[in-house]
Amino acid sequence: MEALGIRDDYSDGTAASQNTLQLIAFSIDEQIYGVEITTVREIRAWNGATPLPNTREYVRGVINLRGTIVPIFDLRARFGDGKTNPTKNHVVVVMSVGDKWIGILVDAVSDILTVSKDDIHTVPEGNSVDTELLNGIVTHDGRMVGLIDLAAVVSGAKTDA
Amino acid sequence: MSDLDEFKATYFDECSELLLELEEQFSAIQEGDRDSERLNAVFRAIHSIKGGGGAFGFDGLVKFAHSFETLLDYVRDGKVELSEDVIVLCIRSIDIVADFVGAARTGDALAASYGAVEKAQFDALARGQSAGAASTDDEPMDDFDIDFTPVAVNLERELPMASTAPATDGMTRWTIGFTPFPTLYERANDPLLLFRELGMLGTMTVTPRLKPMPKLADFDPFGVYCAWDIELVSDRASADTIREVFEFVDGDCAITIEMHEGSAPAAIALDDDDLPSFAALAEMAKAERKFIATGDADDMGAGADLSALLDDTKAEAAAPAPLHLVAEAAPAPATAANRDRSTDAPEDSASSGRPVGMQSIRVDLDKVDRVVNMVGELVITQSMLTQQMDDAIRDRYQELVRGIEVLAQTTRGLQDAVMAIRAQPVKSVFSRMPRLVRELASKTGKKIKLETIGENTEIDKTVIEQLSDPLTHMVRNSADHGIESPEKRVSRGKPEVGTVRLSAEQAGGNILIIVEDDGGGINRDRVLEIARERGVVGPDQQMTDEQIDNLIFAPGFSTASEVSDISGRGVGMDVVLSNIKKIGGSVHVRSWTGKGTRMTLRLPLTLAVLDVMLVKVAGSPYVIPLSSIVETIQNSRADFGHMPSGGKVLQVRGEYVQVVDLATRFEMTTDQAEDSRFVVLCEAEGNSKIALVVDDIIGQQQVVIKSLEENFERIDGIAGGTILGDGNVALIVDVQSLKSGTAHQTAA
Repeated sequence: MEALGIRDDYSDGTAASQNTLQLIAFSIDEQIYGVEITTVREIRAWNGATPLPNTREYVRGVINLRGTIVPIFDLRARFGDGKTNPTKNHVVVVMSVGDKWIGILVDAVSDILTVSKDDIHTVPEGNSVDTELLNGIVTHDGRMVGLIDLAAVVSGAKTDA
Repeated sequence: MSDLDEFKATYFDECSELLLELEEQFSAIQEGDRDSERLNAVFRAIHSIKGGGGAFGFDGLVKFAHSFETLLDYVRDGKVELSEDVIVLCIRSIDIVADFVGAARTGDALAASYGAVEKAQFDALARGQSAGAASTDDEPMDDFDIDFTPVAVNLERELPMASTAPATDGMTRWTIGFTPFPTLYERANDPLLLFRELGMLGTMTVTPRLKPMPKLADFDPFGVYCAWDIELVSDRASADTIREVFEFVDGDCAITIEMHEGSAPAAIALDDDDLPSFAALAEMAKAERKFIATGDADDMGAGADLSALLDDTKAEAAAPAPLHLVAEAAPAPATAANRDRSTDAPEDSASSGRPVGMQSIRVDLDKVDRVVNMVGELVITQSMLTQQMDDAIRDRYQELVRGIEVLAQTTRGLQDAVMAIRAQPVKSVFSRMPRLVRELASKTGKKIKLETIGENTEIDKTVIEQLSDPLTHMVRNSADHGIESPEKRVSRGKPEVGTVRLSAEQAGGNILIIVEDDGGGINRDRVLEIARERGVVGPDQQMTDEQIDNLIFAPGFSTASEVSDISGRGVGMDVVLSNIKKIGGSVHVRSWTGKGTRMTLRLPLTLAVLDVMLVKVAGSPYVIPLSSIVETIQNSRADFGHMPSGGKVLQVRGEYVQVVDLATRFEMTTDQAEDSRFVVLCEAEGNSKIALVVDDIIGQQQVVIKSLEENFERIDGIAGGTILGDGNVALIVDVQSLKSGTAHQTAA
């Protein structure tokens, strides 16, 4: 009976997931951003990175993730707000983008959010940086959460260079 | 036979893959995907199966695959429509091919008519009839591939016999029909040699089948007017061994092989086992007979014989042919001949029930590389742990220390085991050399003997792949430049035949490959003269003998006047050096005047681990491959000169070398005092040097190369990354790109 119960839960979950999105929410200053939870591989505390020469300012360097070299993008710097001065309290969210693994440096990871896909708003036209880096905006508990376009965060490093 | 068995095993592994591919492609085709690339893939797969099968003499398989392939070829050309029927037939036929492969692997005999219905359908389709019925309507066969069906007919009768091995103690009598095509002679084959080889298998009688000779005026000197029938009585011949004799003329002649035993031909017994398909066999035989009747028999001079042979088959099916009766009824001559060869064990035929199943698995090299990398990582971490243990720790944590020591052992074992997966014997490279030396000897009129030692020494696969070219060049050099002409050798009191010795051995973490010759040695005066002429060496520069010897690796040095068409094809020994350096190796040459030359190649066991020097630039760790470092100098002792551009040059032993400050180059700031920094003198490709200024030198170590591009992108001046013992990432300095990028950098 218990096994059946679990299966029911599971099917509930899949049914629900068709219309909802689970996000990992993190913050830069007071603003909350989110990425889809399925892309997140790991969350780790900032522990330094080896700087890379001759690359964009917002590429903080590379770290060793169990034998693989993973580049770290400073999301604040990517938004054009200057380099983060990271401490041990800063967080690196490791994600997979396409077939690559990257890390983004953020101030803190706050929550796992479940939002309805219907609640996603388009990014208001105006600033090209916003429309380029955000896929959309959702409201959660009355607060705005920006959905990060990871591909844009990463590919910018190439095209801008 | 063990080599052959290895090849067979590989072939069967490949077959499994190809059959899977066939399945995949056809299921896509069945779903309506008519991409021509799919048909090509299918065609290639069948062709590969057929080709390998032919090499091992799996005749039933080859015959069937050939018909399959012919049909596919016609489908590809649009001559046969890829209808639903045809697809279904093809899919069914994949299973038949799989059964043939399976039977060949286990050595089991399939019924002679196995797949005959499908084959007949193929043949019918290829002739432009619809699938589902192999009718015998009279239809022209314009495009018929004329040299395939006759062979197929003969194989048809040979197949079941080959798979029933002859009685172990008895002699077997074989009738071999050999009809050369003109192409056989055009390719300079001599039937006599083939007969001689065949004669090694047993007692042989050769009877020519002369065609009527034309009048002298009509006589074509290159024409074929003779075919042969060979009667072979042997205790060890099998269809395979006989076929092997004719292997090199395959396709240039028509071969028929028949075996006669004391009992009724095996074909009949087998057919009896499989009665329902008997009708199919008859039908097919009819279909093929029809081909022969309509085929242009005179064109090959073989068709007539073949239809006669086909009649034999039919006759045999009813009763042994008169000719064969002799052999079958009279075992006496066989036993007489047996005395000669009684000591020879009968050839182990394919039917001897070898264990089935995959002896090996084919693994994507990437997967192996991943394991190799991780083990490399483990080794480095482990050695770091060991280094951290001081006496205090040893005293205090004895159990821990013991654990780490065991870990060290296990890690080393693991590393060896993993490396062994990728290791291959150098034999694969060495085995190309004898031919090279033979050709060279005959071109130059020298007498050269090649000795190879240690050809089972194993090196990493990637190293082996890169080794072939440089080694070929070195051997060529030894044979061409090293060994003197026979007259000169005799006058010097040496044996007429010169020796080139190629040896491989493992020495620590390296593989040494030595190319030695007992020739005249390097002509140092001449080398130095040329080097001076070409500005490789300064006019007043004094050099030791050893330095002079190694000049042959200097770029731009080629002893042009001695260059022959063999060695001097624009590739100098400097290319050898740079190739070897690319795989992290080194070359060293020593020469003894009048006695010979020895070139020693030192290669890393693996490319996965790199020897590096760890340095610090602006607080970040960088590593420089040890193979490119010439020397390190303290800044305070270095002799710098200033250039108008503001750049620096380093004077070292009469040479001026471009200086690149890595901190500046990498746009970082360092607070290290200039004088306490270091210069690392590096050698880039082609002997050009570059001096890199770094903040500090930490030491030497081994690292595992990691890709930056895997998750990021290529970065100028950086060849990759690596993970240090403390878990941090260090970047590998790309000396070559820094060197070539300096001009651009100073201009910018």
